[in-house]
Amino acid sequence: MSELAVHFEGVTKQYPLFTLDHIDLALPAGCVMGFIGANGAGKSTTIRILMGLVHQDRGAVHVLGHAMPREQVAAKLDIGFVSEDTRLYRAATLAWHMEFIRSVFPRWDQAYAQQLLRRFDLRPEQKIKGLSHGQRVKAALLLALARRPRLLVLDEPTTGLDPVARREVLGELMAVLADEERTILFSSHNTLDVEQISDRIVFIDRGRIMDADDKDVFLDRWRRLRLVMPPDAAVPRLPGIVEVGGSPRLPVLTTNHFDTAMVSLCQETGATVQAVDCMTLEEIFLASVQNRREGQPA
Amino acid sequence: MLTDLVISQSDSRPMYVQIMEQIRQRIAVGELTPGSELPSIRELAVALRVSVITIKRAYLELEHEGTIVTQHGKGSTVAPDPDLSLRFYQQQMTEHVEQVARLGKLLGLSHRELARRLREATDRLNNAETGAELMKERV
Amino acid sequence: MNTSMVRRLILKDWYLNRWMLLGSIPAGLISLGIILTGNKAAFLLGVILLVMIAVGVGAQLVMETTLYERREQTLAFVMSLPVSWREYTAAKIVANLVLFLLPWAALLAGALALILFAPGVPHGFVPYVVIMAVEVLVSICLIVATALISESQGWTTAAILMATLGINGFGYYVAHNASIATGLWGSSIHWTATVSVLLLAEFAMIGLTLGLTFLIQSRRTDCL
Repeated sequence: MSELAVHFEGVTKQYPLFTLDHIDLALPAGCVMGFIGANGAGKSTTIRILMGLVHQDRGAVHVLGHAMPREQVAAKLDIGFVSEDTRLYRAATLAWHMEFIRSVFPRWDQAYAQQLLRRFDLRPEQKIKGLSHGQRVKAALLLALARRPRLLVLDEPTTGLDPVARREVLGELMAVLADEERTILFSSHNTLDVEQISDRIVFIDRGRIMDADDKDVFLDRWRRLRLVMPPDAAVPRLPGIVEVGGSPRLPVLTTNHFDTAMVSLCQETGATVQAVDCMTLEEIFLASVQNRREGQPA
Repeated sequence: MLTDLVISQSDSRPMYVQIMEQIRQRIAVGELTPGSELPSIRELAVALRVSVITIKRAYLELEHEGTIVTQHGKGSTVAPDPDLSLRFYQQQMTEHVEQVARLGKLLGLSHRELARRLREATDRLNNAETGAELMKERV
Repeated sequence: MNTSMVRRLILKDWYLNRWMLLGSIPAGLISLGIILTGNKAAFLLGVILLVMIAVGVGAQLVMETTLYERREQTLAFVMSLPVSWREYTAAKIVANLVLFLLPWAALLAGALALILFAPGVPHGFVPYVVIMAVEVLVSICLIVATALISESQGWTTAAILMATLGINGFGYYVAHNASIATGLWGSSIHWTATVSVLLLAEFAMIGLTLGLTFLIQSRRTDCL
């Protein structure tokens, strides 16, 4: 049983207009966890609590074995954090930032940093204010990656990147995982990225965790069943159906607990199962949110 | 060599299924010989930019069907019996044929109609292949 | 407290603000030059200008290192480093004090040199100039305290305005204080007990302000 890189137990934080409610997270070392949620759902707050930048009102937070926020200095020595919130100094050069980070983190790998400069196509003597958004993101990632952190915490790492840059970044992130002890936690709107590289996925909405599971369990559990109903027949009522769409004769059932037995159950009611479609992570997320907000039992 | 598998985003099947199929294909055409070593789960994940859990699933399923053999602590190798992949495709064929029969009954098609459809589909496939070869020759 | 991390943060603030700090010295020396033109009006103008420049550069330093760091979101970048909020606060307080001392000391030295070596300037001004110089330090400390505790541009700007007005008012009061005024235009340095008391009070203010700021900030739980 590998150690937990990140462990949240019942973490709660109250703001005037928003509450982060009973967040439980367990991220084993060597794993990639993807966070998906709408804006304002609580992703950034959760990540800030993880980094010790915000103190939780209730609940225990342990990062790399350190209690947060009390032991945040020890934890941050092994964490690389990149987010929309963390910007670099515009008047200084990338080289200055590299030197600054190098002086703070003993595990700085200069050879790897040079490699990243080439791969990301960045020039160290350039001032941060002269970089495009994509280049700034890559620069921040370089600074986080070259110090060989045990945990990478990324808030929207590929947002705003062109497809080529995205591929480079995903490649470098995955390369981190070649070492079994390194862990990645990232939040993203880009569900394709999350679907591609995550081992574990967490859906967060309105301050609560809607669903958390291994990625392939998500993809296995959710299906869309396209049925052809005989005239005047009622749509079969099955457990685990989250949404019923389409028309009365051609309903589309969305389920989050798919079982092959469902197909036969549908056929028994006289319906023809035209197709059983897999769903993308984005479709699953949207269906979850819709389902939760309408208050239907999931 | 396995590290140059190509995963298609537009393929609606799960990623692990695509990976499994491509590994089986490589075995079928002889690019992966029986007994040869497969990259570790992590190595392949990093190379394909795909989550570790997906590769794990693919390897697990391949092992269940007997296409590969995994030794704890030593990694995975291609199974010594090369016909296993062939057996898998045979199984698929049987399932699909039964599905076609079922649909045919639903649509009320006769045997001749079903056979005609099958012939048309095979013809289309052959034409596409010839066309592709002609294109290659021109280039 | 990790002093090497605090030191690095101070050096960082020096690096990012070095041109502004160095550039204020020639500007200040020019206003000293105005004093040299001789008449009383020029003298007062020169002094006011000098104080403005000193307070100005100090205030700008405070804004850059605290408020703008928060606004430009480089604060989160710094806090993602292995540093605690207390260490960050300590670094900010010390940086603003120490980095400001550079132009401050240069301008004070220039003013004293002017008084002692330029012809026609009464040496009696020395105590007064020293009192005013330290008062500028007190103002800057108050501005630092406001910026760090309020985290608001509005409050800090108000503090800067009050400090500027306050210094002028204080300067007027001290210049007309009986025991100081007598020696002001004299040719020798007239160091009275009042002068010592005032200086002591000013240093105490500095210590108190900065100490309180550190204590108050240490209790903060959320830095973002």
